[in-house]
Amino acid sequence: MTEIGTGEAIVFWVCAVLSVTGALGLILSRRTVHSALWLALTMISLAVLYIANAAPFLGMVQIIVYTGAVMMLFLFVLMVVGVDSADSLVETLRGQRVAAILLAVGFGVLLTAGLGSALSGIPMAGLDAANAEYGGNVEGIARLLFSDYIIAFEIVAALLITAALGALVLTHRERWRPKLTQADLMRQRIASGAPGPLPTPGVFARHNAVDTPALLPDGTLAEQSVPAPLRARGDLRPVDIGAVEETRALTEGEAVFGPTVTPVADDPGASPGERS
Amino acid sequence: MDDVLIAPDIDYLAVAPMIIVGVTAVVGVLVEAFAPRRPRRGIQLVLTFGALIAAFVVLISQAGTRVITGSLAIDGPSLVLQGLILLIAIVSAMLMAERRVDPAGDAFSPRASALPGSEEERVLSTRGFMQTEVWPLMLFAVVGMMLFTAANDLLVMFIALEIMSLPLYLLAGMSRRRRLLSQEAALKYFILGAFSSAFFIFGAAMLYGFSGTISLPGIADALSANPGQTPLIFIGFGLVVIGLLFKVGAVPFHQWVPDVYQGSPSAVTAFMAAAVKVAAFGALLRFLYVAFGGARWDWQPALWIIAIATMLVGSILAITQTDIKRMLAYSSIAQAGFILVGVIAVNPEGVAAVMFYLAAYGFATLGAFAVISLVRQDGGEATHLSNWAGLGKRSPVLALSMSLFMLSFAGIPLTSGFIGKFTVFEAAILADAVPLVIVGVIASIIAAFFYVRVIVLMFFTEPAEVGPTVVLPSVFTTLVLAISVAVTVILGVFPQPVLDLVEQANVFLR
Repeated sequence: MTEIGTGEAIVFWVCAVLSVTGALGLILSRRTVHSALWLALTMISLAVLYIANAAPFLGMVQIIVYTGAVMMLFLFVLMVVGVDSADSLVETLRGQRVAAILLAVGFGVLLTAGLGSALSGIPMAGLDAANAEYGGNVEGIARLLFSDYIIAFEIVAALLITAALGALVLTHRERWRPKLTQADLMRQRIASGAPGPLPTPGVFARHNAVDTPALLPDGTLAEQSVPAPLRARGDLRPVDIGAVEETRALTEGEAVFGPTVTPVADDPGASPGERS
Repeated sequence: MDDVLIAPDIDYLAVAPMIIVGVTAVVGVLVEAFAPRRPRRGIQLVLTFGALIAAFVVLISQAGTRVITGSLAIDGPSLVLQGLILLIAIVSAMLMAERRVDPAGDAFSPRASALPGSEEERVLSTRGFMQTEVWPLMLFAVVGMMLFTAANDLLVMFIALEIMSLPLYLLAGMSRRRRLLSQEAALKYFILGAFSSAFFIFGAAMLYGFSGTISLPGIADALSANPGQTPLIFIGFGLVVIGLLFKVGAVPFHQWVPDVYQGSPSAVTAFMAAAVKVAAFGALLRFLYVAFGGARWDWQPALWIIAIATMLVGSILAITQTDIKRMLAYSSIAQAGFILVGVIAVNPEGVAAVMFYLAAYGFATLGAFAVISLVRQDGGEATHLSNWAGLGKRSPVLALSMSLFMLSFAGIPLTSGFIGKFTVFEAAILADAVPLVIVGVIASIIAAFFYVRVIVLMFFTEPAEVGPTVVLPSVFTTLVLAISVAVTVILGVFPQPVLDLVEQANVFLR
């Protein structure tokens, strides 16, 4: 029976705590990026444990394939989707979370108790004998892969092709209309009738808010000057025609500033889209 | 220590059917990559049907093979079940190839990557684009299913499970109509399926911890060498069986079934319902009989509870359904319960009965979903039960064949379902599982209610003012209906040849 050395015990306790912490962080953090980083911590701690347990091949594969490739791909995807996207944590089924936590804890206790009782007092064989059989850990795995598990090794190809094909089917977008060149875009712009930039919003000097349409020289509203989303919502601030008249009178000298003139209400008023 | 690696000895002829289907699937992927768009569909159809038929012919020529090669066991049950999977795959490929029923094209979204309801989707649809990747995906699923029934160790069984499931997750989400429902179904199926795979692989690790091997006969040897019960065995067995029962759709692992059956395109639902059940029951039988046949007294009580719950929950919940696809989903749960009765028998009669039942159920299911795909309204399928009122007056042939499938599901004499239920219950009685049979009969009576309700609805109810239209299908769906009706009647009236076949092939190699 192989005894656990002090160094091994230290490695185990450090890595065990780290990997469980990482796993808990993975499911408890709200940001997906944080979850991914916690997962990387778990994977690296597991890799250290594998290497400490005389399985260098598994440990290296864990680092190169999982932490290196899979996790980085994961992070790339997250960056593309948007780092700030957090899960909405709204429960659609009432009581589901409580029930799930209770069941998960129960299942965990059951597994731990079962495994604890099953594995206590079992002598450790260690991997040394198995590793020595073919002259090393990697050699032994290679031999098993290409003899006993050759069928498993071969059919994994089908699995990988399916996964790649599936990813393509779900994401690949073929171009279904001809690509627009700069010349095409220019032609479109000229044909649209408004080749220049759209008029800016704002009426005279009274309001320059984006929801205030500009006035054309003939006094009509230029609705195009208000951004399309606001227009779609119906958020056009009504123009105070009285105020416009007032301003015109002032500029043409028909009226003067002073207490005799009734002051124009400068209350912008609630725009139609706002809720009080 | 020798330095020479002895090349593993694989009987390539025995596994040739799987190789044919798998290689054709890879060729199909290459066709997708290099063939121009227009002839692609034709090439894929030729490849798919060619591979499936060729594999079936090779399988027939191998009918006498009984060999364990590598981690695969090519024995009676695996040959019969592989043949059944191939036949079901051929018929459901016909259903998938139908393009006259939907005015816009086939049953699949023109591009699975297009946003549902987007302009891109509409333009692609009107231009007649089709997602021809469904054909290689389907072939991969068939390879996985065939491997699943033959897998003689837990690792190959796990990989086969994944090869079978991944394409189905994808196909479930590619419906042309009601795409959001379809995508939701695919996501649910994927997440729950991944969860159950995790259970399976965790259990396999426990069993390896107990026996030091992952081969099923090896586990059986380790069990008989150490009869003392250890929690490792219980945990490992339980987790692996959970993974398998999930694929079967047994209660309480059935939650995914209604949503996935409802959301997937009907052709895929038919394929999934018929073929996955065959594959999953094949693997379950092999796992229980080969690895744990000696320990049957320990696991039978647990499976008794699951079988009883599956039969009752499936039958009772099906009554409350208003959507015919959901109703058939719950009915498939109940049918899984009936098949489990045969599994629990643990005798050769049980194996034969399960295989017969799977054949009967598989073809009736294909037929039923073929009928569903023909009853349409506003382009999509009219699946609400109220739409089916008076269908018998509008389209008697279709309604009659649907009635035949319903009667077969209900287990009425002169249909295949009756013989199936009879053989399963007979095997259970041989194994002294009389209470199970009594519950099974009660559940059949409950189930008969909603099957007969569909028939009453079709023939004895006045049709609605604006009812659905019954589309005239092309030769593909017509053939599917004809084959399903023929198999359902022949297995009901003249089942002896098939019964003889499954009885000759009811022993697992160890």
